[in-house]
Amino acid sequence: MKVATTNSSSPPSILSNQRNRIIVVTGKGGVGKTTLSMAIAKALESNGREVFYNSFDQPLNTELANLIELPSFSLSIEQSAKEYIAKKLGSETIAGWILKTPFFSSLFNMLPGLGHMILLGHLIDKLESNPNLTIVLDSPSSGHALTMFESPGNFKEMFRTGLIVDDIQRMEKFLYEPGAMEVIVCSLPTKMAIQEAIDLETKLKERQVPQTKLVVNDLLSFSKPILEANEKDLPEFIIKKIAGEKEAQESSKQTPYLNIPHFPESKPSQIISACAQFLKGAAK
Amino acid sequence: MISPKSVEIFCGTGGVGKTTLATSRALYLSDQGKKVLLITIDPAKRLKQILKLDEADAGDITPIDHKLFDRESCQIDALLMNPKKTLMRMASLNEEGWALNNPIIDILTRPYGGMNEIMAIIEVQHHLQSHSYDCIVLDTPPGKHFIDFLQSSQKIKQFFDKSFVDIFKFVGKKFTVKGEKEKSGFLSLIVEAGIKKLLKYLQKVTGEDFVEEFIDAISGLYRNRESFISALDFQEDLKKEALSNWFLVTSVEQRKVHEAMQLQKEAKGFMHNDSFLVINRSLTPFLEAWEPDPSPGGLSQLRNSMKERESAIKEISGLGYKSKLFFPEILGSEPLDHVKELAECWSKF
Repeated sequence: MKVATTNSSSPPSILSNQRNRIIVVTGKGGVGKTTLSMAIAKALESNGREVFYNSFDQPLNTELANLIELPSFSLSIEQSAKEYIAKKLGSETIAGWILKTPFFSSLFNMLPGLGHMILLGHLIDKLESNPNLTIVLDSPSSGHALTMFESPGNFKEMFRTGLIVDDIQRMEKFLYEPGAMEVIVCSLPTKMAIQEAIDLETKLKERQVPQTKLVVNDLLSFSKPILEANEKDLPEFIIKKIAGEKEAQESSKQTPYLNIPHFPESKPSQIISACAQFLKGAAK
Repeated sequence: MISPKSVEIFCGTGGVGKTTLATSRALYLSDQGKKVLLITIDPAKRLKQILKLDEADAGDITPIDHKLFDRESCQIDALLMNPKKTLMRMASLNEEGWALNNPIIDILTRPYGGMNEIMAIIEVQHHLQSHSYDCIVLDTPPGKHFIDFLQSSQKIKQFFDKSFVDIFKFVGKKFTVKGEKEKSGFLSLIVEAGIKKLLKYLQKVTGEDFVEEFIDAISGLYRNRESFISALDFQEDLKKEALSNWFLVTSVEQRKVHEAMQLQKEAKGFMHNDSFLVINRSLTPFLEAWEPDPSPGGLSQLRNSMKERESAIKEISGLGYKSKLFFPEILGSEPLDHVKELAECWSKF
């Protein structure tokens, strides 16, 4: 008897939608955002797209990107802010000077949303200057991703008019144009993670984020060795884990856009390439 | 036995089970007769789901029904952080609290405005000072946001640095600061010239109203700075062995060994002898007992990869920890059942 059947319907457009310029991967901590982001980037790249991976202020992930030869760039909030102010005022010296004042440096420390917004603006600049580029953004986890999406609106409300507001409007216009941005909400097959993903999708929709997709990751019931095995060969804890996965999925009324199997590889680089292969297969 | 302390702090990377473990610790302590306050600082608020709380409860202390845990009684109060409620409570206690009524402060203290970590440290300090609880169990935000939380009081101190006062002197919002001497004429002239330039640039890129409201916001924060600065005491308490237990949570499911080590490194300055390394969701006993068909590929490959993923966690050195605490993988799907089973585990340590 087979334990599960593969889902052959609904080929995912994570890879096929040619218009997406920025793919944001978010979700609860530990659900595999980095693996999935890198796999998406790798799969897009092998389909001939020009791709950059960015991990939003998490330098450790950039090392892994280098290991698997994935083009990436890391930005620091300080550097981005300096470049931004320099561009606005037409002088790098003044920008450096402003950021060195205790006033501004402590302001940046107190307001993480401001830094997030400047980083996001920097990514959009890169996309605007190169129309062939796609960026896969390995974003912070749920709550902090909401801060990232909410900050432009909050700062617009604060500043009301002026050059920064013009820039925020330009940013929002770029991001919210249909098809420009896709937000992938990644989850694990547990009740806690799925509920967090659904809460996050609701809150993103409230913030007018146009396109979100729920992806459930690391499913044992979709894993190749398990699909190929007989149920009598499976140990009890695996059967219980699979039952738990199903219960978690059934508890949510939402059908995930894509189910990703557990890959029986051990090294992160191997898992990423197995996942990239899977995404390419699923897109056909 | 791990002796209960005034503050029990759970930290770790995302998704390792901090909220569930912190809740299980609160339940265990309550079973021991302690009065417990369980606070979650993580804006994702998974505690809400475990304890079946309402989003509208955020910011208010909510007693937890003992029936939830199949107990005859339960002495747990829960609190989901809400930065605005913290600010409002702080304002109501301060003479100059009115000064915090400002549109900019209002926007920034929204649930996702980004002020969560900073306001949380003030909230925790408030409850510690009130001495209404035997133990405060803290569920913290993941990874580097936890470091943000730890460094909050440092940031607050930096923010209220003396040089800051000069901005008000220049803009004419004068108010006396106790115990502070006027700067010498020459020095203040330089500072004043700097701030003049700064505001001129600021006005160039933002609206004019903003600069005015911004200065009011800063002045409001400054007038209430004592409340912010008192949060520094909390940071000192965390460093005291008699007052706190530290639990760094890792999970065998996770491939975040480097991130966990980074967190360990950065939190080291705070941790003391009563720090414990928690290894959660251990499948080892199951994997050891499983002997699939040894032919290559198939189930033996699956078992080996699962075993290898578990062994990655062993790279984290137990050095600097009083002990390693192993918690098994709980196989059911109901979060509340996890809490109840894990609460049993605490009595074994």
